[in-house]
Amino acid sequence: MEDIKNIPEEFSFEKEKEIARSFSKRFQWEMILIGVGQATFWLSLWPLVINGYISLFFGSLIATICACFAYLPSHEAQHGNYSRGNPKRRWIDSFVSHFTLITIMFPHDLMRCTHMKHHAYTNNPEKDPDYDTASAKSLWEVIIATQVGIKKYESIAEIFKNDNAFMKSFNKGVIIGMMYRVILLTLVVMFPLETLLLWWLPSKFGIIYLSTFFSWYPHYQADIGRYKDTKFWSHWMPRYLNHSMQLHFVHHLHPGIGHYDEPKAIEALKPFLIAREVPGAEDIPERVKYNPLIKR
Amino acid sequence: MDKFNEILTNHISNWNMVWFGLIFWGSVINAIAELYLVNNNSIFCYLFGFLLGVVAKIRGTWLWKI
Repeated sequence: MEDIKNIPEEFSFEKEKEIARSFSKRFQWEMILIGVGQATFWLSLWPLVINGYISLFFGSLIATICACFAYLPSHEAQHGNYSRGNPKRRWIDSFVSHFTLITIMFPHDLMRCTHMKHHAYTNNPEKDPDYDTASAKSLWEVIIATQVGIKKYESIAEIFKNDNAFMKSFNKGVIIGMMYRVILLTLVVMFPLETLLLWWLPSKFGIIYLSTFFSWYPHYQADIGRYKDTKFWSHWMPRYLNHSMQLHFVHHLHPGIGHYDEPKAIEALKPFLIAREVPGAEDIPERVKYNPLIKR
Repeated sequence: MDKFNEILTNHISNWNMVWFGLIFWGSVINAIAELYLVNNNSIFCYLFGFLLGVVAKIRGTWLWKI
């Protein structure tokens, strides 16, 4: 905890955690709806396109939108925000995450273990799995970084090879990743253009969108440390189109806060962030509504 | 079984781009050629996909290097 001695008691970390905890209880039904909904919608595109009910290009457009919505429901699951520590509900985390990630061909276990390392080592050039996109100097570099593929994960595995829990999850994810590859290469032989335009290309757009708004904007040129590794930023887009990632800061402070509760949480936590002199905290509006969230 | 897994993993790690070029890009190029070319020869389409994969393997990336 940085500079903890200078923080008044009323803004202590314990009090901050207490407030955060009050926003970390609600069942995230919206995310389940989005995750399961988009994946179901995406799956239904295949028979609709193959049987000629909708054109391939229209289907591709819808698939791209689905791909952009695919990651966040999994992200909530990676943090266990559906089960909330209840072992009987863990299947919801697993089911939602596996199902929603089909659209972008990401294995849940691989995403979960690397995302936990991202939280543990945010902006650390050697250990943060997202550092490649977070440190990109332009949008073009983000796009190139997202296309590296298997090599990125080989180097991550090399870094954490002695972490047994990580490697167990990682290897499970690799198997699912290989299964995705086999399914893709089987489908492309039978339905080449459909596979290209309903799955491969939309997944690429989805991953670029994800890396840009979830990784690059919130972490670019940010420092290392709990209150420094993520920044507030503004964008011309209404926040619903970039998944409110201007609020990614609060997620890094308290990952248990549900995505749709983050605006309320950040309103409540504003005085704590100002007390800790978080850059941009004083610009957080009293009431988080549309865009821009953060005045700059 | 472990030995088999190791060989398979090494093969995929080293040759995945070539296989992807041959099967994925070969199939896509073949489908496009069938749409737009009168006398399409599938072998050339798959060969072109294979070459794309070989070039990507040599360069280490499908696109530009950072």
